[in-house]
Amino acid sequence: MALKHKTPMLDELEKGPWPSFVTDIKRVAERKPMAEDLLGLLEMSYEHKEGHWKHGGIVGVFGYGGGVIGRYCDRPDLFPNVAHFHTMRVNQPASKFYTTEVLRKLCDIWEEKGSGLTNMHGSTGDIILLGTTTDQLEPIFYELTHDLGMDLGGSGSNMRTPSCCVGKARCEWSCIDTQDITYDITMRYQDELHRPMFPYKFKFKTSGCPNDCVAAIARADCSIIGTWRDKIRIDQEAVRAYVGGELVPNGGAHGTEKRALDIQKEVIDLCPTKCMEWDGKNLKIWDEDCTRCMHCINVMPRALRPGLDTGATILVGAKAPILEGAQLGSVVIPFIKMEPPYEEFHEFVEKMWDWWMEEGKNRERLGETIQRLGMKAFLEATELQPDPRMVNTPRYNPYIFYDPAEVPGGWSHDPKAYRERHHA
Amino acid sequence: MPFDPNDIMKDRITDIGPPKYDKFFPPVIKENYGKWKYHEILEPGVLVHVSETGAEVYTVRVGAARLLSVDLIREICDIADKHCGGYVRWTTRNNIEFMVDDKSKLQPLIDELKSRGNWFPIGGTGASVTNIVHTQGWIHCHTPAIDASGIVKAVMDELFDYFGSHKLPAQVRISLACCLNMCGAVHCSDIAILGVHRKPPFIEHERVQNVCEIPLVIAACPTAAIKPKKVGDYKSIEINEKRCMFCGNCYTMCPALPIADGDGDGIALWVGGKVSNSRTAPKFSKLAVHYIPNEPPRWPTTVQTIKKILEVYASDARRYERVGEWIDRIGWERFFEKTGLEFRHEHIDDYRLAMTTWRTTTQFKF
Amino acid sequence: MSQEAKEKILEYMKSQKKTKLYFNDLCKAVPDLKMREAKKIINQMVEEGTIKYWSSGSTTMYMLPGVDDVGKEEDSMK
Repeated sequence: MALKHKTPMLDELEKGPWPSFVTDIKRVAERKPMAEDLLGLLEMSYEHKEGHWKHGGIVGVFGYGGGVIGRYCDRPDLFPNVAHFHTMRVNQPASKFYTTEVLRKLCDIWEEKGSGLTNMHGSTGDIILLGTTTDQLEPIFYELTHDLGMDLGGSGSNMRTPSCCVGKARCEWSCIDTQDITYDITMRYQDELHRPMFPYKFKFKTSGCPNDCVAAIARADCSIIGTWRDKIRIDQEAVRAYVGGELVPNGGAHGTEKRALDIQKEVIDLCPTKCMEWDGKNLKIWDEDCTRCMHCINVMPRALRPGLDTGATILVGAKAPILEGAQLGSVVIPFIKMEPPYEEFHEFVEKMWDWWMEEGKNRERLGETIQRLGMKAFLEATELQPDPRMVNTPRYNPYIFYDPAEVPGGWSHDPKAYRERHHA
Repeated sequence: MPFDPNDIMKDRITDIGPPKYDKFFPPVIKENYGKWKYHEILEPGVLVHVSETGAEVYTVRVGAARLLSVDLIREICDIADKHCGGYVRWTTRNNIEFMVDDKSKLQPLIDELKSRGNWFPIGGTGASVTNIVHTQGWIHCHTPAIDASGIVKAVMDELFDYFGSHKLPAQVRISLACCLNMCGAVHCSDIAILGVHRKPPFIEHERVQNVCEIPLVIAACPTAAIKPKKVGDYKSIEINEKRCMFCGNCYTMCPALPIADGDGDGIALWVGGKVSNSRTAPKFSKLAVHYIPNEPPRWPTTVQTIKKILEVYASDARRYERVGEWIDRIGWERFFEKTGLEFRHEHIDDYRLAMTTWRTTTQFKF
Repeated sequence: MSQEAKEKILEYMKSQKKTKLYFNDLCKAVPDLKMREAKKIINQMVEEGTIKYWSSGSTTMYMLPGVDDVGKEEDSMK
């Protein structure tokens, strides 16, 4: 069937070996005018080299302050079927496992009430239902909650939908139960997820180990990254098997053919703390010097495993550049056990939020509030003790904000006594 | 009870949250939760995880566009029903993972995926270019400087061989954000594609007072470049254009300040970021190319520049070195020399804390 | 108590030149309340329809019903 709009430029994106989103949209466009007009609008953007969407307004279903992104096309005269094209964010199950039953139901809802186009998934982790009209928002929400047991995710000045790596579901390195932690945060803070109250967005991300597969350290206001405090577990026989070429190094990530591992060059020389030694028979690790970077474990997954005294490092303040520049997460809790019912963590979160709500300026991420008011203010508000693990180096400027309580007599001088000692 | 449009509060359910994570686990995942012992990549895109119990799960990872139609999702469901007991999952980087609990089921699954045209390329594991994470672009965003899906498609077509192989020194994470707001947080990627505006917004004075809250517009500017100004009879604003850093925040607050411009907008490329703590600390991506024009539909200059960077890295880096670790070893002067990219004023930081990036040693290479 | 707070918030919103206000602007109307208590009251006002949310997608604000510029633009499309 011929489509309404000619799309010579988009047609070029049907070529090549990678799956084509254009071909995919075209299938839906044959029966859905919304998808058909979306292609026409996108072709016009390709001609103009400019987008054609206006934002704003609509935020969600009744009583929710997030979960829907309002979008209006700026050429409804040409593309009336995408005049309104709102996005719904649907909270994904942690680590994104699905049954085909639930996916098919979701497709049926979206076939009937939306554009038939999705993102699997948005950057934050939600299922994105791309494009519907205002009158469909409540019916879709009703079916999501009643038929699928699903709910909307976050947008705006909310806690955003938390997300995590695959964790213990299918990874031997996960030091914490990333899915359970994510589920716990999501359920405990439903009100914060759906009803905005913060100065700006707030993201939680949880990775099971320092490889950080969800990029928590780069983009979460609060990053929870699994780690351990005891010794790396070693299977010396397996180490010898890697050196002897019986096992494929790096779990096959650098080629699946068997080859002898050059343990000196590929492991020991690359260890950032030089805490390992190989005597030809045994691998010795000085664990007290290890910073748990994961390199040796990544290279010899069948010989080395994280320790058993596991927990998490908590970092705060990571964000993309807008407004004050990009920040990575900074360590504020070097180690916390992170076991259910997570009470210690909840207390920390609530103290952190109370401080940020009180002190944060509008559109200021947590990392920027900390930058403006100082780490000391944050640590005091969250009742955390300073620890060398929180810094790369101690300060090297001499502008110390001394605490008057620790100076004899506080900040007041005795001018009379001074002038008795020093004549003006 | 069906939805009643006249009474939306009837039987209303709210705040139920997502389905619990284990509700959709395949049995082999549920039974071996927390018991996995080791994994191995059998060939690019195909993994086996082995449990303490002896159970195995075989995973086939396939690339996909982030934008999926319900038709394609239903096709994915057909495959999962036929081979995987009706279960499937997605990764953080938009890949799809099909899992089977027995080796005998693996080859039929792979054959099925390969029989369906281009839709299910197998790969994205180990030292590969895995799927590109990206933002909405012209498909759905209101402040984009570039498209997202189209550029991703063009780049992945060109780098396709690297998706289904392990021939790079380490994994290479490519990401795309269609404006400086980076809702995809691409600032720690091996190679980041970033949409940039280069013209300050223009002001529709006659519209400003009707569609904008002037105090909010002023507050939205990170460099305090916006001031109120009366223009004729209109209450409007003025912009100190020299202070504009092209973020588009004012346009978000005020639709009478359009910033997009087909000829001004384009792409900046950034290199050398990473998020993993492996060997070296996580780091930001740094500027490699300050501007490439938008070239729809296939962005050839962008694609070829990325390919050039990737191939110089592939031939020069040592095993396990990420792009950023390679550059740290050879030095930025060598990076620009080897890639043939031009080093310009724009590469020297002049924003806040710029001096922390200037060379403060006599150690460098000629 | 909460009725009084609601009235204070409404009055404050009506007295402002801006039609869109941030959460912590609204809290200024009820300085004696803790922010979490203020939030409960503001949520109730949303449920009752006396105020409503506005969002750019990244930031959420509050406004009085019937002053929505997007609503205007939307109507003009019909």
